[in-house]
Amino acid sequence: MIFHSIRWRLQAWHGLILVVVLTGFGFTAYHVARDNQLRRIDQDLDQRLMAIFRPQPPDRPPDRPPDWQHGGHGQRGGFPPNEPRNEHGFGSPDFLRHIREAVQQGGALDPSQTNIYYYVMWQQDGSILAHSPGAPEDVSAPEHPGPQALKARNAFGKTTPPEGGPPMPPAARSRGQLRELFRFGPLGDCVLVGRSMSPDLTAMRRLALWLIAAGATVLLLGLAGGWWVATRAIRPIEAISATAVKIAGGDLAQRINAADTDSELDRLAGVLNSTFARLEAAFAQQAQFTSDASHELRTPVAVILSQTQIALSRQRPSAEYREALEACERAAKRMRNLTESLLQLARLDAGQEAMKRELFDLSRIVRECVDMVRPLAAERGIKIQCDVPSLEGLGDAGRIGQVITNLLTNAIHFNRDQGEVRLSARGESDAVFLAVADTGQGIPAEDIPHLFQRFYRVEKSRSRIQGRNGLGLAICKAIIDAHGGNFEVSSQPGAGSTFTVKLPLR
Amino acid sequence: MRVLAVEDEPDLLGSLLKALREDGYAVDGAPDGEDGLYKAESYDYDAIVLDIMLPGIDGWELLRRLRKTKKTPVLMLTARDAVRDRVRGLDTGADDYLVKPFELVELLARLRALIRRSASQAQARLEIGSVAIDTAARTVTRDGEVVTLTAREYALLEFLALHRGKVVTRTTLYEHLFDETDDTLSNLLDVHVSNIRKKLGHDFITTRRGHGYSIE
Repeated sequence: MIFHSIRWRLQAWHGLILVVVLTGFGFTAYHVARDNQLRRIDQDLDQRLMAIFRPQPPDRPPDRPPDWQHGGHGQRGGFPPNEPRNEHGFGSPDFLRHIREAVQQGGALDPSQTNIYYYVMWQQDGSILAHSPGAPEDVSAPEHPGPQALKARNAFGKTTPPEGGPPMPPAARSRGQLRELFRFGPLGDCVLVGRSMSPDLTAMRRLALWLIAAGATVLLLGLAGGWWVATRAIRPIEAISATAVKIAGGDLAQRINAADTDSELDRLAGVLNSTFARLEAAFAQQAQFTSDASHELRTPVAVILSQTQIALSRQRPSAEYREALEACERAAKRMRNLTESLLQLARLDAGQEAMKRELFDLSRIVRECVDMVRPLAAERGIKIQCDVPSLEGLGDAGRIGQVITNLLTNAIHFNRDQGEVRLSARGESDAVFLAVADTGQGIPAEDIPHLFQRFYRVEKSRSRIQGRNGLGLAICKAIIDAHGGNFEVSSQPGAGSTFTVKLPLR
Repeated sequence: MRVLAVEDEPDLLGSLLKALREDGYAVDGAPDGEDGLYKAESYDYDAIVLDIMLPGIDGWELLRRLRKTKKTPVLMLTARDAVRDRVRGLDTGADDYLVKPFELVELLARLRALIRRSASQAQARLEIGSVAIDTAARTVTRDGEVVTLTAREYALLEFLALHRGKVVTRTTLYEHLFDETDDTLSNLLDVHVSNIRKKLGHDFITTRRGHGYSIE
């Protein structure tokens, strides 16, 4: 499934995080803007409120607009700040008259339909003292909250009233699209200035739309960028998996191109490449082994087939039948020898060949082996010198004997006539070492690493000699490996070779 | 027809030599590459049966060196049947390929086909006037009646028929009809020629005095 791919999952998480971040950011931005706007409105309203507390003198020229319409602080007119004007509260006749005039003046001076401001004044008993012409009819008197709460609800967060202002701090409220700011006088009378917020709300809505549009754009860009990054990040993985697919398809020569991978994936690619190389080598070795084994088996089969076919092609004297049967017997023995070796190797490979682990007298085993091969050596006048002290070995005496016999037959086989085979051994605390040296032609250095390879032959010319199937040393190595030991081969061209077996004692 | 068999497994070489000899070929054997190459270069064999895995010079090398001087048809024998090996064999200059273990009849049939092709004959049946030679069955008929020939007479007739229209020297005939094991007494060419003439008509084989024999 494509939606289960790493890239899609990365993209989904990336998109989710982006949406959360953008939404949070948008909400915060919107609210900060909204609060700022409200604060500006409140400041504006408060300036106008304060202007009412500093009304114009009655003799003020009628063409001059009242201060509060400009949001000024009455620096250009109004009572001097130190003039006591409301010591009797809003209700004092002088002050009331004064206010009414100001309000009327303000209203008369600002008849414009665009004026969004209005104000209302209440006396202590809640009756409306005065209001501007544009004031909404449903405006109700704010409830006096008591001096403590007023202090807490200070719209500006300040406890000190502005200079010359009334003693109580202003409070704000919203009613639908209207924003109203009011102050109580010390006697409980109240002045409220309000305005419609509809232009501000329209602006806020526009801001919200902008934020949504910008957020959506950023989200799309982010998703596109994320897709690009994910594609780039996944490309080496895809290169690796494409290579793996090709290898699974049978093309073992494929390798991951290191140029396709980033540094983090370099190690993975390296590990996979070396694994692939080992796999390929193992496969090649297996294929070579099968090919060699079938090759070795085919020649005797060809002998049997051709000998029998020719013998049966016509009536023959019995001596010819005998010859044919003898040839068939030789071929069959060769096949038996080979199949037994192959079977033993397969068992050793699979770890199925039960190995005894017991102490044995190495010198006795060596003597038995030497006695067995002595006739073979005598045929070519080869002397066997055995210099093996009494030593204890640990393992399967029968199989160690097989190894020694094999080494001895090799040493005789590859020796020169009248040559010599020397056996020597020494013991160490944790292992015994047995060396078999010959005086033959020696082994070329380039062949030594391959000696224990199955069916590897140094001397091709000796390849078909009876009883030698190219598996002898491979079996020796498998047996010694199963004992935890190893082989060492040294050779001097023209002077001879030495095979040393290390057999551990634990 | 004279054939060389190069094979290092003595029992296989033995049965090859025997089968070929009984099929009417003059056969030489070589147990290794060096001997094989020496013989292949010394005589004009009609075909060579060559094993690939040989001690000393292997089959590939023998073929490569032989191809520098001779075009003798070569049938390769191998125990490996990998396509790669077959391709390599054919590319090196082998004319045919047989995988061990093989059927003797197939080996003999392929060898006949090789020799025929090298003499530019596509068919196994040669017809000269009223005489027909079936090289597969090794039989000769004259006017539809079977003519009995000895192996040597047949070999001589087949060789001349395959080289029809050409004068074949006595030396060439000696080289192709007798192998190194034949004793000189049996090499009496004139006796064989006169016997064939008795059976197939006096004019069937023409004598070119001082040159050799030919079938027109």
